[in-house]
Amino acid sequence: MLQLKNIYKWFNTGSNRTFILKDINLDIKQGEFVSIMGPSGSGKSTLLNVMGMLDEPNEGKYIFLDQDVLHMKEKQRSEIYKSHIGFVFQAYHLIDELTVYENIETPLIYQNIKSGERKGMVADMLDRFQIVGKKDLFPNQLSGGQQQLVGIARALIVKPKLILADEPTGNLNSKQGEEIMNIFKELNGEGVTIIQVTHSEKNAEYGSRIIHLLDGRIEKES
Amino acid sequence: MIKNYLKIAWRNLVRNKAFSAINILGLALGMACSLLIFLWVNDERSVDSFHTNGKELYQVYERSYFDGKVDASYLTQGLLAEELKRVIPEVKYASALDYASPPGIYSTFEAGDKINKMDGRFAGDDFLKMFSYPLLQGTLQGVLSAPESIAISRRMAESFFGSPEKAIGKTIRYENKEDLQVTAVFENLPANSSQQFDFLRSWIDYVKENNWVHNWGSVSPETFIQLRADADPVKVTAKIKDFIYRYKTKDKGSLVELGLEPYPEKYLHSSFKNGEVDGGRIEYVRLFTIIAIFILLIACINFMNLATARSAKRAKEVGLRKVIGANRSSLIGQFIGEAMLLTFFSIIIAVVLTMLLLPAFNTLTGKQLSLPFAQPVFWAALIGLLVVTGFVAGSYPALFLSSLSPVRVLKGSLKFSRSATFFRQGLVVFQFALTIILIVGMIVIYRQMNYIQTKNLGYDRENLIYIPIEGNLVKNFALFKDEAEKMPGILNISKMRNSPTIIEHHTGSISWPGKYPNLVVSFADAVVGYDFVKTMKLHLQDGRDFSKDYADSASFILNETAAKKIGYKSPVGQTVIWGNLPGKIIGVIKDFHFNSMHEAIDPLIIRLDENWSWGTIIVRTKAGKTQDAIATLGKICKSLNPKFPFTYQFSDQEYAKLYKNEKIVSKLSDYFAFLAIFISCLGLFGLATFTAAQRTKEIGIRKALGASASNIVTMLSGNFLKLIAIAFLVAFPIAWIIMSHWLQNYAYKIDIEWWMFAIAGLATICIALLTVSYQSIKSAFINPVKSLRTE
Repeated sequence: MLQLKNIYKWFNTGSNRTFILKDINLDIKQGEFVSIMGPSGSGKSTLLNVMGMLDEPNEGKYIFLDQDVLHMKEKQRSEIYKSHIGFVFQAYHLIDELTVYENIETPLIYQNIKSGERKGMVADMLDRFQIVGKKDLFPNQLSGGQQQLVGIARALIVKPKLILADEPTGNLNSKQGEEIMNIFKELNGEGVTIIQVTHSEKNAEYGSRIIHLLDGRIEKES
Repeated sequence: MIKNYLKIAWRNLVRNKAFSAINILGLALGMACSLLIFLWVNDERSVDSFHTNGKELYQVYERSYFDGKVDASYLTQGLLAEELKRVIPEVKYASALDYASPPGIYSTFEAGDKINKMDGRFAGDDFLKMFSYPLLQGTLQGVLSAPESIAISRRMAESFFGSPEKAIGKTIRYENKEDLQVTAVFENLPANSSQQFDFLRSWIDYVKENNWVHNWGSVSPETFIQLRADADPVKVTAKIKDFIYRYKTKDKGSLVELGLEPYPEKYLHSSFKNGEVDGGRIEYVRLFTIIAIFILLIACINFMNLATARSAKRAKEVGLRKVIGANRSSLIGQFIGEAMLLTFFSIIIAVVLTMLLLPAFNTLTGKQLSLPFAQPVFWAALIGLLVVTGFVAGSYPALFLSSLSPVRVLKGSLKFSRSATFFRQGLVVFQFALTIILIVGMIVIYRQMNYIQTKNLGYDRENLIYIPIEGNLVKNFALFKDEAEKMPGILNISKMRNSPTIIEHHTGSISWPGKYPNLVVSFADAVVGYDFVKTMKLHLQDGRDFSKDYADSASFILNETAAKKIGYKSPVGQTVIWGNLPGKIIGVIKDFHFNSMHEAIDPLIIRLDENWSWGTIIVRTKAGKTQDAIATLGKICKSLNPKFPFTYQFSDQEYAKLYKNEKIVSKLSDYFAFLAIFISCLGLFGLATFTAAQRTKEIGIRKALGASASNIVTMLSGNFLKLIAIAFLVAFPIAWIIMSHWLQNYAYKIDIEWWMFAIAGLATICIALLTVSYQSIKSAFINPVKSLRTE
């Protein structure tokens, strides 16, 4: 599904160059469930952002679905990632001014899907996560777990092939966290590729593959 | 997608009520103000635009090379119109137009048992064919071609005869000396006509009454011509340039040329400079257009500033939208859309505000403006205003916010880049610079007006009354004077051909022994009665007033300027020749202002003619007894002159009329300056609030480290003061240049002084400080524990 080849990312402080990512080589296949682990500052989130095309490396090659992402025009790239990638964040990042329903609907609007179709798709999603009763509430009226459910629903609405989750359970209690992880597992079973960044060994175990980062390098894989 | 945007915009609006209110109110005020100005400008531009033949109508003006100066005026020869039509084939119609009674004085009519005063003109037979003043009764053909014919307005017909139908063919008595026949009734002149009159008399009678018309050196009426549709105005202008010399020999000392000005342009362009049409009311139209744009700009800047300041809060939304697939253009669309929505609300409020303010604005400007809801142009203008304002106000926040990188925004709090902060501060500086310019303008205009009102004119305009000489007063003046002077409350009485407020009449035929034969000097001239100097309270420098005790039929009084021009060492007793009349100078008076302060004082020569048949009686009353004096004068007039209603004018009010425009401009500039500072402060308040909010954590830390509340207030307010200080530096030279240019219009003017700038500066600082301090103090007193926890 995606290959990273010799990815470097750095920033310059005075004459010193500090590496965030250093020679990352990674090949992730369709249907994998990958957990990325490592201490704070090891480059986990940056790696995730690079894979999600939110950030660009300084050097290296990134192939996504057989296309060279880094040499694409902005528009093509955003086209690809709009339709293939869904994001889930630790802090949920819902739009405060929109209701649950509207938050889930927004990505469809940006894909120019017609209003009738959108209604059906959002309704399915609400059903699936059993949040139909909450559809007219605003994010600040929901618990953290519920907000993350909405976040996942929003990520899934475009039927992405890849879900990138940045510590999706970091702000949740263990019970809520477990629920979310089970949902990921289920999705993975349906064929969605999932890459998550996590601190928790237990959550990492849900994945089929664990990548350990340290100081911007892949330390080991298991 | 648009629904989604509108929803977000609406919820943002409701959630941040205070800021929405500031934004909408500021913008609405700015727009209401520019709407009012738009209406005024539109009205000014529409004046005289309704004439069907407008494109072919021209007014003739006369350019004169005189005394080393080039001057021009609309006053022309009495037979010019007829001759132009007779001689120049391209002229289809031509007509002269002149006052029936001196300007500002109405003529008295009598029909049946009704006596009333009306304002009107003499005009040629072609006049009503040229101008679009539709007839209700009568026919255009030969309407004023017979002597003693008169065309009257609907208003006049109704007041004397009940209706236009009843008026036609009737006779009406004019000034109790002639019976005129009503040959036509025309519709009341529209408010947007620069010509305003209630009757037109035949030019034939004018020629009969005014023998001077046969002298081509004398001027008085205005002359209008209508060219044939195929005529080339440039060629006609060339043809008529030296037209006068067909009737008069060339005099090297004073050359006269004719020129043409398209009539529809005359209202806005009626000043002359070096003999060419240059400026006029158009300058005010331009000035106010610029002010309208400024105020709108200030309001837009508020909007931009508040929107970008708030972008810290909106940044997360922008980042998220980008992550879930929004591209930049759709975000730009969203923010512009939001700006449009706010602008839309502002426009609604602005229209309501305008409707509420219109009556006051109309009183101020003396117009009858209304919002033209029925006109598509108005709606187009509103939509234009919406789009332009929404776009200007929304563009910067839209471009700025949509450029944010999602990773940076979602990772942590947004830090403004140096250039964004710089830009925002630049906007504040710009806004306050405009405000300061307006305030300086307000002060200078106010001072100049004050100067005009209080300047010693050289005569005492308090307790001075003018009464028109009409009817029996012409021959009974001596009787009137005798009777009135005996009454308590009345000090002195004299008479004058013009009113002393404006002496326009000039003569070039003054000479004196020792004058260069080719030199022609233009003198303002006046014809007065006995006791003129005493009644006016003029200051005699030398010599004496006109008096019964002397034979003064060949005596002159000069003003200082005239005496200097002639150059006698001791003028009194010396000889001066006026036309063919040689006489002695009996007195020299100190210069007094007999024109507006726009003009320098001309040399003035005054002669005596107690029997002059028209003009003004000048009455000096005792201070505090004016009302009694008027009642007494009314009684005397009634008995001497029963056929004429008693009318009078106060000298000080007539003087104030000279500055009608300035008065309006002065009032408006006050309002605009206040509005500008108010809108600017609204913006400053919003900005201060957000700065305080953004720096809550910093303030908390500083307080935890021991900063006092006053330290914090100084820190927060200081930043804004710095911006305003820069605004001063920008504004002062610009204000100085603009205002000195404006003062150039006056021959007598104040100096621009440093304290005017100081006051503008201090006022702005104080108001801005008050605005900012509220927020600074509020945030300085927040408990640091609280502000640090919320972070």
